[in-house]
Order: sequence, then structure tokens, then C-alpha cells
Amino acid sequence: MPGYYDISDILMEDEAVSVVFHVGANGVGLLDPGTETNSVEKGAKIDLPFWLAHELCRRRAVSITIPSCFGQKMKKDVQADAACVDLGTRYPYFYEFGCKLFPLVGDKSIGPFLRHTFANRYKEMLSKSHTASLNAIPKFVLRLSKEEYQLFEAARSSMVEFKKWRVRDLGLMKTTIVGHKRKTDLH
Amino acid sequence: MYARRAAQLLQELSSCEEGQLPPYNGDKFDQVIRECEEHSRQFQSLIRDKDIETKNEDHYGSFIHHLSIIRNKRCLMAYMYKRAEVIQSNRWNVGRVLPREIQDKLNFSEQEYFKDYCGVIDSYMKDLDLDLTVDMVPPKDPYIRVRVLSEIGEVSLGDHAVSLTKDSFHFLRRTDAEPFISQGLMEEFVE
Repeated sequence: MPGYYDISDILMEDEAVSVVFHVGANGVGLLDPGTETNSVEKGAKIDLPFWLAHELCRRRAVSITIPSCFGQKMKKDVQADAACVDLGTRYPYFYEFGCKLFPLVGDKSIGPFLRHTFANRYKEMLSKSHTASLNAIPKFVLRLSKEEYQLFEAARSSMVEFKKWRVRDLGLMKTTIVGHKRKTDLH
Repeated sequence: MYARRAAQLLQELSSCEEGQLPPYNGDKFDQVIRECEEHSRQFQSLIRDKDIETKNEDHYGSFIHHLSIIRNKRCLMAYMYKRAEVIQSNRWNVGRVLPREIQDKLNFSEQEYFKDYCGVIDSYMKDLDLDLTVDMVPPKDPYIRVRVLSEIGEVSLGDHAVSLTKDSFHFLRRTDAEPFISQGLMEEFVE
């Protein structure tokens, strides 16, 4: 479980979700840009940051609508080609967010959907990470979510270390091309 | 409001490379604290004279303000904690004296923290009679060749003095050369 001080967990919880309020709330008019009074009406649909939506949902004050990243269009995109879906720019916290959202909404298909997406993207990511060099950043890395990127980096750096180990200087490995160096100079 | 500014502080911190710090953003930090005070004022005005058990609109409004304060606190704590971790790692990677550009990024209490941390490490090393900050990577050889990058002058190493002029090569013990290498005044000469 991510810790209290974990910065990527904190930033992940800042993602916006759309919620529907089951109750009214006074004194928090700033949450709803459309309201004239300093309060939120029952039944209002507002975008809240996830940390707030999560707590309110636990106390049954709001219900969370499934965000677009787990909606029908996304499912179709993943079905077509999982590896091409751009998680890096659109939803960098795709997996962590899905895991936290899953218990709060009624949709039971999110869990299997996350697993299916990850499994399909993993194959290509693994093969690319083993061949990538340390300096060049292949374009597809920009499409990876944060968690996938950590796996990618781990695989890439361990591959580089392995290659370095294979050619380490044992005093025997280096073969020079034995040219026909003839001393034409005979004096 | 509602912890957006605090999240921006953390974005700033996380966009830096590992082991580097952005300059201490005192302004934003103070703004977040003022936001907490505002939330607290709103909270007080919503719960006065109310029975805590009734779940009416004021209750939920005050709850949202309470959550915002907790969230701001978490963001600020994480900000300070991460910076403290990087400052600690600086003692091990860079040394006792921080170069000017790193010092400029710390605020006053962070600089004091660094001094106190160095003091703690030094007294511990004195008790052990062992310098823990050398040889962070196990060396292959106790001696290394070095090339001097900037003029250092006469330095006494062990029982003899060495004149470290610019662009001169020396064959030194690794423990003697490491403090100069970590400050960037020397580099290891690899054939």
C-alpha cells in the first residue's frame, strides 16, 4: 500500500471524477462553479478531486460516475490494439486509479478490464525494454503509464547491466584482429 | 482552494530529477497555510451551535472543509519529507560542504537541518572511528590514477605532501582522492 508520504499516490488522488451529490452541502460553493449561493444542491453533478470523492462516497454523500478512462470507448480501443493506447499522456495513473476506484463504483468489470489491458501491453513492453539502449527513448515509452514506465526502466537498466557484465574485462575476452603486420623495415 | 495549490507544490517537486531539488517555494507554502486557515474559519462557522449527530447540509459542508485541511496537511508534510530525504542523500553523495547552487535552493531551516544531520553523522563516525562516507561503491583497487581539473595547491596526504596543480596526474590512494572527486576538482583517469 502506498505510504502517507508517497508523492505519486498523492498526485494520483488529485485526478478529477464526476460525482452526483445525494445530499446538499453548505459553505462549499467554490466546488461548483455554476452555483450562485455558497452551497451545493442535492442532485448536482460536479467534478471533484478523487481524494474528496472517495471520502464522500464512503459516507454515501455522493455517488461516483465511471470516468471515461474505463468507459465503453476505452474498452473498444483496448480491444482493437492494447499496446497503442496512449496511457502516458491521457491517463498516467491508469492502473492505480482503477484499483482505488473499483470498490467504490458498482461496475464489476473494471477489475478484469485492468488485468486484460495490462497483460496485452506487457508483452510488447517487455520485448522493447530488452532491446532499448540507455540513451535513446523510444517513442512508445511516452504511451506508458507511470507504473508501466517503472517496470520498463527496471527491465532496461537490468538488461544494460547484463550486457556490461558479459563483456567485462577478464583479460581474455578482447580479441584484436591479428593483421598481417610485417616489418618491411629490415634494418 | 480545496488543495489545488498544494498539489501544484508537489508537481513542482516531482518534476525534478531524482536527487535534485527545486528552490524552496516559500510563497506557495504560505498560501497553502492561509488556505487551511480559511477552511478552518468556514468549518467553525458551519458547526457552531449545531448538534454533531444531525447529518444536514452544514454537516456535509463542514466535513468537506475538514477533509481539505487534512489533504493540505498531507501535501505539505510530503513536500517537507521529500526535501529532507534529498538533503540527507546530499550529505552522502556530495559531502560536508554543499556547493552554492544547492545551498541557494534550501530555505534557512533546511540549511540548519543539513548542518545538524552532518553533526549527527560525524559524531556517530567518531564513535566508530570509521569514515562511512568513503568507498560508497566497493573499489577494485586501493589506488587510482587521477587528473586534477582545477588548481588545488599543496595538500598533505598521509606522510607526504603533494602539489596538486591543474592538469597534473597523480597516483593516489582512493580514500584520499574521493573528497576531491566528489567536489568535481579531480577526475579519475581511465585509460
